[in-house]
Amino acid sequence: MADEHFRLRVAHAKSGRLRFLSHLELTRACERSVRRARLPFSVTQGFNQRIKMAFGPALPVGTASTAEYYDVWLDSYVPAEEALARLTGATPELVGPAEAAFVPLRAPSLAAALTIARYEVILEGGERAADVLESELGAVVADGTFAVEHKGKSKVFDLARTLPKEPQVRSVEGRVVVEMTTRMGEHGSLRPDALVVAAIERSRSGATVMSVTRTGLFIEDGDGFRTPI
Amino acid sequence: MTDLWPRVEPLLAAVERPARYVDHEWGAHHDAQAAYRAALVYPDTYEVGMANQALAILYERLNGIDGVAAERAFVPWSDMIEALRASDVPLFTLESCMPLRECDLIGITLPYELTYSNVLEVLDLAGIPVRSADRSGEHPLVIGGGPCAYNPEPVAPFFDAILIGDGEDAVLEIVSAHRAALAAGLSREETLGRLAGIRGVYVPSLYDATPEGALVASPGAPERVVKRVIADLDAVRSPLCPVVPFMDVVHDRATVEVLRGCSRGCRFCQAGMVYRPTRERSADSIVRDAIAALQCTGHEEVSLTSLSTADHASLEEVLRRLSRRLEGTAVSISLPSLRVDAFSLGMARLLGGGRKAGLTFAPEAGTQRLRDVINKNVTEEELLETIDRAFRAGWRRVKLYFMIGLPTETEDDVRGIGALVGRALAAARGATPADQRGGVRVAVSVSTFVPKAHTPFQWEPQIPLEEVRRRQVVLRDAMPHKGVGLSWHDPDTSFLEGVLARGGREVADVIEAAWRAGAVFDAWSEEFDLGRWIDAMERCGIDGRALANEPRDPDRPMPWEHIDTGLSRRFLLSERDRAYAGVVTEDCTFEECTGCGVCPSLGVDIRLSGVRHG
Repeated sequence: MADEHFRLRVAHAKSGRLRFLSHLELTRACERSVRRARLPFSVTQGFNQRIKMAFGPALPVGTASTAEYYDVWLDSYVPAEEALARLTGATPELVGPAEAAFVPLRAPSLAAALTIARYEVILEGGERAADVLESELGAVVADGTFAVEHKGKSKVFDLARTLPKEPQVRSVEGRVVVEMTTRMGEHGSLRPDALVVAAIERSRSGATVMSVTRTGLFIEDGDGFRTPI
Repeated sequence: MTDLWPRVEPLLAAVERPARYVDHEWGAHHDAQAAYRAALVYPDTYEVGMANQALAILYERLNGIDGVAAERAFVPWSDMIEALRASDVPLFTLESCMPLRECDLIGITLPYELTYSNVLEVLDLAGIPVRSADRSGEHPLVIGGGPCAYNPEPVAPFFDAILIGDGEDAVLEIVSAHRAALAAGLSREETLGRLAGIRGVYVPSLYDATPEGALVASPGAPERVVKRVIADLDAVRSPLCPVVPFMDVVHDRATVEVLRGCSRGCRFCQAGMVYRPTRERSADSIVRDAIAALQCTGHEEVSLTSLSTADHASLEEVLRRLSRRLEGTAVSISLPSLRVDAFSLGMARLLGGGRKAGLTFAPEAGTQRLRDVINKNVTEEELLETIDRAFRAGWRRVKLYFMIGLPTETEDDVRGIGALVGRALAAARGATPADQRGGVRVAVSVSTFVPKAHTPFQWEPQIPLEEVRRRQVVLRDAMPHKGVGLSWHDPDTSFLEGVLARGGREVADVIEAAWRAGAVFDAWSEEFDLGRWIDAMERCGIDGRALANEPRDPDRPMPWEHIDTGLSRRFLLSERDRAYAGVVTEDCTFEECTGCGVCPSLGVDIRLSGVRHG
């Protein structure tokens, strides 16, 4: 097979109305933009040949992002800026690429390396409640564990491990904005809005979640978090 | 125009699969400036409608005209219908998210009789009166077309006009005539009068039913509406940059229609009768358009579709050239189904990668006698031989299609299906190494024969529901169980299909009554309720059994007699006689002309890209 391979890492968005795409829909859209960009992509060996790509952790339907990533393997070299320009011209703008860079062939997979996610949850209504919400969020966190019901199953998160940072609450233009950083584990990741909704219920502020955006995905190493590009 | 998006967006968090409603796919055409706006509607959900090639063709054709924007609309799924109605949001087009009722024209394709209730749902959700007679100059023109247009009567009152036949050129003429009428400030009636002057356009309000059931034209309207036909497929390019869905749709791939029409002459097959003559696209144009569509869409699969792709004279050449061009790109080529008599293993192997094309054969009947009656020119020897070759080459599954209730069918014919399946299974096992025989599967799909308009069997009765159930029992008892997966087409559905397929204009009342009683998504088995339709027939005084289950007298006019497909009545009657006599009729693309009448009456010809090898 080809002796030389290159592994291009692409950062892209999931924004506007395309936040309603599912993970599968988004990954297929990315594959098709790589084909349309006519990058010299590698093809997997085996019975069912596919374009060789790998994706980061899934986002739920309805959650937007400014920091999604995929890797695509290439059989020949294309300068990263050129690849980015070609991808930009071949991708619907709302899921368009923002950055592209080569990473070592042996770098750990995105799925394994990306363990930290940062989110921004914007609320609507209950304007007066920024400080109330902050203290209620603090109380939820102080419980130490948080249980989530999903498809009839209950999942319990250890919050000391799941929340490497305290959630931050601020007011922006009259709206309450919660910034939250979570650590994703083998047993799934905590949806930030679930925690916020629990705090809203305790605060009885009548606020509702207007939007959830993933604003960062990070690799955790020794003394901090770094982006994958 | 109104942008409904701010009212639609808040509904999406609570509905299933919101990707159906968000637009912004690659290839979606946005033109906010165009003064003339058309909505192209498929009367089912997004994931079903996005697979429809006709809409993709018309979308590209209409968006190619300066000053015209064509946008897509589908039936929202039930949860979204409820949400729209609850918040009083009318049905919208995807691209501009504008209300359908603000469009100039609404084009609705009629793919299948069981989507008729959805047509009414679309109009009502859009806030447009469902009957043409209740609409005025403030409403868009509602125009139908597609496979079911060949008997338009059951839906005629819901449409302002219905196009019969190929749409590529006709839609351009319709839009052009409509724009001229708008510019001239013509009334709705005057506009429809102009449309009736376009070849292939049927304006139902200009025709009245006689007590005998025939439809008579008003002065100025053509006595018979002659179907449109594109003489040369190569003159119209296949869609080069169709919309690429995000959602996993029914056929998620690039498509090139390699030929139109089929003259095999199966006597039950409406498509084989009404899409004549056979016109092949040339190998050059297929390869060119397939590569162009793949590059523009980024699809990982291209399908070479038609009624009988394996009959295409240059198919082997096309497959060879495409495989070479696509090497190393992980793009697969697929064919919709392979005919037993045209199947070649070499061809199947050319279908790229290690993937095995699905083997699908349609013997339709279990005995040679009955296959001769229906003119299905497939012998048991050919079928068993093909299975033998395919299973020796590594195939382990085959799907066989049959029908029950065909004219002249006896219990022996029904049992014959079981016997034939048994021999097919034995052939498959015999060609498979002993240690792999456990994996051998024969899937058998059995539907009920539904007589269709413009076929030699249009006068035949459909067997009643009780008789379908009885023959199903006979068949189940005659069928081997191990290694065979048997599935039935729902007989209730077939009964309604029969009523809607051969009914006249009076059936429109039934459709409206059933829809008002809640019928929608009838093509989805879990949503279908025959009871609602039976009640509707009773309330409207329509005898569904008489329409579906009683033989028709060839001397009495049929409700679709004013629709001219080019087939001569004499040909249909002669094919009917030959069916009763068990005499087969050859395919005119292999043998000589069979005198169906289409070529001379429409002024077109068979077009082949080379010599066919049968």
